[in-house]
Amino acid sequence: MSSDHTDAGDDAHNAFITEATIEGDDDGPLAGRTIAIKDNMSTDGVRTTCGSAMLDEYVPPYNATVVDRVLEAGATMVGKANMDEFAMGGTTETSAFGATENPAAPDRVPGGSSGGSAAAVAAGAADLALGSDTGGSVRNPASFCGVVGIKPTYGLVSRYGIVAYANSLEQVGPLANTVEDAALLLDVISGPDPNDATTNDGGADSGYAAAADGDVEGLTVGVITDLIEGADDDVVETFQASLDDLEAQGAEITEVSLDSLEHAVQAYYVIAMSEASSNLARFDGVRYGPDTDAEGNWNEQFAAVREAGFGPEVKRRILLGTYALSAGYHDKYYKKAQDARAWVKQDFDDAFEDVDVLASPTMPVVPPKLGESLDDPLQLYLMDANTVPVNLANLPAISVPAGDVDGLPVGCQLIGPKFSEETIIRAASAVED
Amino acid sequence: MTAQAVQTDEHAVVIGLEVHVQLETATKIFCGCSTAADDDEEPNSRTCPVCLGLPGALPVLNEGAVEAAVKIGKALSADIPERTTFHRKNYYYPDLPKNFQLTQYDAPICQEGELEISVEGDRREIGITRAHLEEDPGSLQHKGGSIDTAEATLINYNRAGTPLVEIVTEPDFRSPAETRAFLAKLEEVLEYLGVFDATRDGSLRVDANISLVDADEVDEEGAIDDSVLEDANRTEVKNISSHKAAEKALAYEVSRQKNAVKRGRALKTETRHWDESRGITVSMRSKESEADYRYFREADLPPLEVADWKDKIDIPELPDARRERFVADYGLDSEAASKLTSTKEVADFFEAVAEQFDPNVAATWVADNLLGELNYRDMLITDIEGRLDEFSRLIELVENDELTVKNAEEVVLRSMLDDGDDPETIIDREGLGKADDDAIADFVVEAIDENPDAVDDYHSGEDGALNFLVGQVMQKSGGSADPGSVNQLLREELDA
Ligand SMILES: [Zn+2]
Repeated sequence: MSSDHTDAGDDAHNAFITEATIEGDDDGPLAGRTIAIKDNMSTDGVRTTCGSAMLDEYVPPYNATVVDRVLEAGATMVGKANMDEFAMGGTTETSAFGATENPAAPDRVPGGSSGGSAAAVAAGAADLALGSDTGGSVRNPASFCGVVGIKPTYGLVSRYGIVAYANSLEQVGPLANTVEDAALLLDVISGPDPNDATTNDGGADSGYAAAADGDVEGLTVGVITDLIEGADDDVVETFQASLDDLEAQGAEITEVSLDSLEHAVQAYYVIAMSEASSNLARFDGVRYGPDTDAEGNWNEQFAAVREAGFGPEVKRRILLGTYALSAGYHDKYYKKAQDARAWVKQDFDDAFEDVDVLASPTMPVVPPKLGESLDDPLQLYLMDANTVPVNLANLPAISVPAGDVDGLPVGCQLIGPKFSEETIIRAASAVED
Repeated sequence: MTAQAVQTDEHAVVIGLEVHVQLETATKIFCGCSTAADDDEEPNSRTCPVCLGLPGALPVLNEGAVEAAVKIGKALSADIPERTTFHRKNYYYPDLPKNFQLTQYDAPICQEGELEISVEGDRREIGITRAHLEEDPGSLQHKGGSIDTAEATLINYNRAGTPLVEIVTEPDFRSPAETRAFLAKLEEVLEYLGVFDATRDGSLRVDANISLVDADEVDEEGAIDDSVLEDANRTEVKNISSHKAAEKALAYEVSRQKNAVKRGRALKTETRHWDESRGITVSMRSKESEADYRYFREADLPPLEVADWKDKIDIPELPDARRERFVADYGLDSEAASKLTSTKEVADFFEAVAEQFDPNVAATWVADNLLGELNYRDMLITDIEGRLDEFSRLIELVENDELTVKNAEEVVLRSMLDDGDDPETIIDREGLGKADDDAIADFVVEAIDENPDAVDDYHSGEDGALNFLVGQVMQKSGGSADPGSVNQLLREELDA
């Protein structure tokens, strides 16, 4: 394997923070394919910024497990993909390295936080991409850029080497132009890893690519009505058309309501921000972060580095998360959010007694214009309503293109029980046909 | 409890301990780095992405550390729960690679145990609130001064990730001497379990909480109401690193506090630092409010089902039980039994010898001769563990009358330790083999022939004459004759 930086590439959409090539092995299931790696995944010898000025100069001395796996499978890395700073955002606009443009919808955001990964695939700059999905960060940009993205069951794919945002929620997921390619990449990265104690045998000996056969005869699909209500009419219409398509191919469509989902966004943000406040504590200026002129004691020094190194959205989430974990507020916020999380899990378990997969629009809206949504964090957070429940419940989900609204991509999200990746891949391949 | 509170005046002393013990595992608690520190190792050489807390690295629990903690729990008669979990303790300090410490919070691996101690014949049961696993931080080096005056502070992460067990006691101590007895006992137990190495620098670190309460509040059993303890001003004394230091630091603190009260000064709730070299405690900070560590579950470490570990893991016989058994089974006196159980290795060595010889003979050889000579040389039983056979052969030679006790003790054993030779080699070299009876009979005749004056003196009843002749024979035999039998032979020859 070799690595060389080629910053002068033609990256018209700003999909990459660092363009660098790492050659993979000569043969393997991904031989001859190029891959974009989200910039929160450690790459030995290639800087890994997480979209933050804090890690502008950080070069990891090791590879994330998923990076090793795609290289051993023969893929060639072509660059480190742009992302919202520390994966905090849904538009890739919080990146310290500038926003990424949506190749499928000029002047619009590519979604996020894995916006660079989705844009690289949509623009043809890479055949495949790896993203990470904490609250929708693979499915959201897949939907907005008109590509396929999978969020695997928690524990299916190793997180070793992925710079943590909210470690109880996130998984690495594949992005590709087709369901089969995304499934093939999932075959490569899934399976137990001795370096990640939360992985299990769920993905060993997988045959996900083979499952993309479009056979949905007899499959029951439950539409989550709670996630239709908040979505734009045009988006719902496009989503509905893909359901009709599934029905025509032999699937049975029903409606399902999950009462707990009304609390999912709040619960998600409390948990994600709490974990983030702790995960990002290590960036204290001792080994990472910009130089500052700050004099003074340890507290003053590291505060100055964090002031300079983190962007506003990251600071907001660290502050809110610290607050939610603090004595006196812990029970009111963090504990309550954990209770809500348990309720969401239970609701999904109950729903899967009656249906094989659940469905909703991946995003309730079409991609916003660049610069349009950043001013109102709350609106941005609500954009995640359809994706975060899946992370709270540790379930697998896939976003597959369902059509468009005036040329703007709309994604269909299919959710399955734990380790039912083959089922949702099969269903998604029928939507795609 | 049968505590006698120390009631020298109107105050009683209440002390509780938090003991940090480095576990003797091969690798660190959450990664594969070695825990063995070389004296001349480079800073930050024994590290990896995990113990450096690099972005993206994940902890994987070392089962050896769990095993050690379960052993400790069993030895302290503690409850070991069905499952145990890990939490993050969040605080910013430069020696902490992640700015949080992985530790245990509401489901520690051990709860509600006890350890019996004995102080001046009084037996006391000290309650153990809990014992939990956690990771050691790195260490700081202040270059060119103290923490306040140094030009730069350097961080060495070699220690980071060393497994620790923190053992928290109930506030059951009523005197500094009791804390010393407890810590000495705890160290002994931990060494018996094979989970602790007292010789490792920084392997034992103790924080003590000490309060003075009205002596009236202590009931006849030594118990004190919880509300009284909550109201008392508590001083935390940090930086205690041995059982001896604990007694010194706390004795200092007791007298400091009593003097303050005597002079009408109020006691503050504060943290003080034990300055070993000056023999005093120094105020570090007063605690207006408890630090908020924002504990929450560590999702990277799945809950650990320890229920089945409990049955799978056995612990060796503990020192108290072994002492009692040595007295009962081998008929040793309690002093010898104590000496022979001072460490597990000594006890094991003794029992191996006692299998081959009369236990009292084995006890004399191990407790008196061997331990004495080892101690004199600053050696440990572990230095000669592999030479059990040689030691047994030495005893056998004496038992078979082939070597005198005096030569065995003063020449052979010493040379075995000093030169590392086996007993036969030493005996050959020094010519110590017991002379045969014919040779001695010849020496007796020679001695009588050569010393007619002494023979006359013997016959005229002079006491010293026989001793003189014995000495002559011994000299001729090069010390290899047995003085008792020489005496006997001389009498027979002279009286004939
Ligand atoms: Zn390590």
